[in-house]
Amino acid sequence: MNITKISLYSGAALLGLTLTACGGGAGGSGAAGGAYDKNATVNIGSLYEPQNLDNTAGGGQGVTEALNGNVYEGLFKLTDTGKVEKLLAKDYKVSPDGLTYTFTLRDGVTFHSGKKLTSEDVKYSLEKVLAKDSQSARKSNLEVVKSIATPDARTVRVRLSKKSISFVYNLSYVWIVNSQAKNLKTSEDGTGPYRLRKWTRGSALALDRFAGYWGGAARNKQAVFHYYKDATALNNALLTGAVDVVTSEQSPDALDQFKNNQNYKVSDGNSTTKLLLAFNDKAKPFTDVKVRQAVSSAIDDKKLLESVWGGYGKLIGSMVPPTDPWYEDLTKVNAYDPARAKRLLAEAGYKKGFTFTLETPNYDPHPIAATFIKSQLAKVGVTVKINTITPDQWYTKVYQNRDFTATLQEHVNDRDLVWYGDPNFYWGYDNKQVTQWVDQAEQASTTAEQTRLLKKVNRKTAEDAASDWLYLYPQIVVANSKLSGYPVNGLNSQFYAYDIKKG
Amino acid sequence: MSRPSTRHSATLIAGCVTAGLIALLALVSLLWVPYAPDDTSGGRLAGPGGGHLLGTDKLGRDLFTQLMTGSRIAFEAGLGSVLIAAAIGITLGVLAAFTRGWLDDTLAALLDILIAFPTLLLAMLVVAARSATLASAVLAIGLAQSAVVGRLVRILVKRVLAQDYITAARTSGTSWPRIVAGHVLPNIWPTLVVNLALQFGLAILAEAGLSYLGLGAPPPNASWGRMLQEAQATFTTAPAGALAPGILLVMLVIGVNLIADGLRDTLDPAARGRR
Repeated sequence: MNITKISLYSGAALLGLTLTACGGGAGGSGAAGGAYDKNATVNIGSLYEPQNLDNTAGGGQGVTEALNGNVYEGLFKLTDTGKVEKLLAKDYKVSPDGLTYTFTLRDGVTFHSGKKLTSEDVKYSLEKVLAKDSQSARKSNLEVVKSIATPDARTVRVRLSKKSISFVYNLSYVWIVNSQAKNLKTSEDGTGPYRLRKWTRGSALALDRFAGYWGGAARNKQAVFHYYKDATALNNALLTGAVDVVTSEQSPDALDQFKNNQNYKVSDGNSTTKLLLAFNDKAKPFTDVKVRQAVSSAIDDKKLLESVWGGYGKLIGSMVPPTDPWYEDLTKVNAYDPARAKRLLAEAGYKKGFTFTLETPNYDPHPIAATFIKSQLAKVGVTVKINTITPDQWYTKVYQNRDFTATLQEHVNDRDLVWYGDPNFYWGYDNKQVTQWVDQAEQASTTAEQTRLLKKVNRKTAEDAASDWLYLYPQIVVANSKLSGYPVNGLNSQFYAYDIKKG
Repeated sequence: MSRPSTRHSATLIAGCVTAGLIALLALVSLLWVPYAPDDTSGGRLAGPGGGHLLGTDKLGRDLFTQLMTGSRIAFEAGLGSVLIAAAIGITLGVLAAFTRGWLDDTLAALLDILIAFPTLLLAMLVVAARSATLASAVLAIGLAQSAVVGRLVRILVKRVLAQDYITAARTSGTSWPRIVAGHVLPNIWPTLVVNLALQFGLAILAEAGLSYLGLGAPPPNASWGRMLQEAQATFTTAPAGALAPGILLVMLVIGVNLIADGLRDTLDPAARGRR
């Protein structure tokens, strides 16, 4: 099955530079302690082929996976453990009012075409993200940018219209592209450790080590992303040695064949993908907080997680995964308690229950989760009608037209709690206090202040059962044990290939 | 003419037994199933045996219960599609054969286009216009098959209409409706029934295909196609989930095809003569 994650990026993903939880395990250790083949080809297996190669033109999560950090680089980078580090920016200064950022670019950086990196390219790249036709996931976050000046070839000065504590974090999503480059949907011109050799649509995307890279050279000569439509075919490719590593496993049941085999290493990293039962908080009966709480209490999330993922994955009581700085264990809020659910329904005036339609995307794990929810809610007198829809229908019917009562959806991003501060978001959660907190958090001067405010948002939305957060996905990478140095956390679906050593 | 040989009857009997077993499952499922369809108490992917004859699925639902419900859905899909196909197909086919001229040409062209149109694409259109339900799937399959039936009926009826006894009936003043009912339909019936039986098997396969793609009966309905899809990822660890609906699907389709073969041998005088 082709798994299309609908990636809804944050309206204002908030972040402090250093205050990041780093929880991930280390990359695979394997045989290659020191000795490895510097001219190896690393074959990477994935289910997410890019639609095109431009991350401002709706290329999908596959673009980020293959090109982010490998072919293109930003002023900053988000490491596999969730830290933001300087990359093409050598240094930066923030004015006391927090509205002017001055970036100094690294020396000696050249694009794959041979041109030197200048401040003009940075300006161009930022404007490309902010352009009218840009489909960049980070466009709305960066709309605080008021003006971009280039006093000299190595300096970029950005003025903001209001303070934005996550500005630098958001810049880690902006690729610096050669301002003279053409045809970015099918070719590239970045500064990364690899250059694109060949993209065979429907099959593979091959990257070659770039000899003129400004930093440490990639530890392998070639990285080739192989694309599969089907998880079983992908696992078979790993078993037969056609690929060395699978970026993200989508079912626990194929894992046994790798776990009991010393030729493979299974890593259980941190993920930020959450499965949501999203109520339309503006549609009856979910306008009533008691009904939302009742439904949340009527569903045994633990059993659902066990059903879908075996022993993998984690329970969450809110939108915030443990890797976000404002995480708090809220699994006890509106926890599984069918008796409480019945009581709350009676209090809300639905003693005899009610019927609602659950818009269910037609790919895994939504249908099975919908079936489970239907059987659970039947026990408290609530009838669920399952309406299966395609990802496109979900986008127009649910996301754009808000023509739904409740829906299932996976949300892949980190720091996306802030959407509950936007009353116009598809789930229609509208709480003035929460909106204010989210706003204040973004304009906070310190990360401590930001974290304090977002913790309040976290608790309030959890208590209000703004949505029902069913579980947090696991992020499982399986690799040949000859491999080491690969990322295991897959934050925002990026996959840095340059540190991978093949023994 | 000789009676059909025992080999032919054997085909029919084998088909009836195979399909009959599944029909029995479907009938029993109307009255009784081992577990409630939404009972998830079984534990994840329990193996066959114990309280569950074939084991359970990921959610802990009993597989045998789902298989029984699935056989009912398979019969519903098969019968529903064939009824729609027969109703539309026979009407259009007879109409085309009788009218001749431009209407005949138009209808023939329409049927050919409909045949060329992939069933899957048609089903997607129907599902987009309505919603993903068993009824949508049956409607789409029925429409697609009506073209096949229609074309066959048109040719058969034309052949009958060329016969002398039709001319005789017409000159003796018999009305067209009576000719259709009294002469045409009885004469094309044997071939038509065989074809409809084949379409029944194809319809079951098509519904399983649509459900596999999430375009058929919505969850929690246990269509065999959906069961296959859900069991795909767990095939190495719990093969029963995929094997059981797969085997039943093959059994039913083979059974129906055997019936069609047997019927042809029994009903079709031309074929009988050749043996």
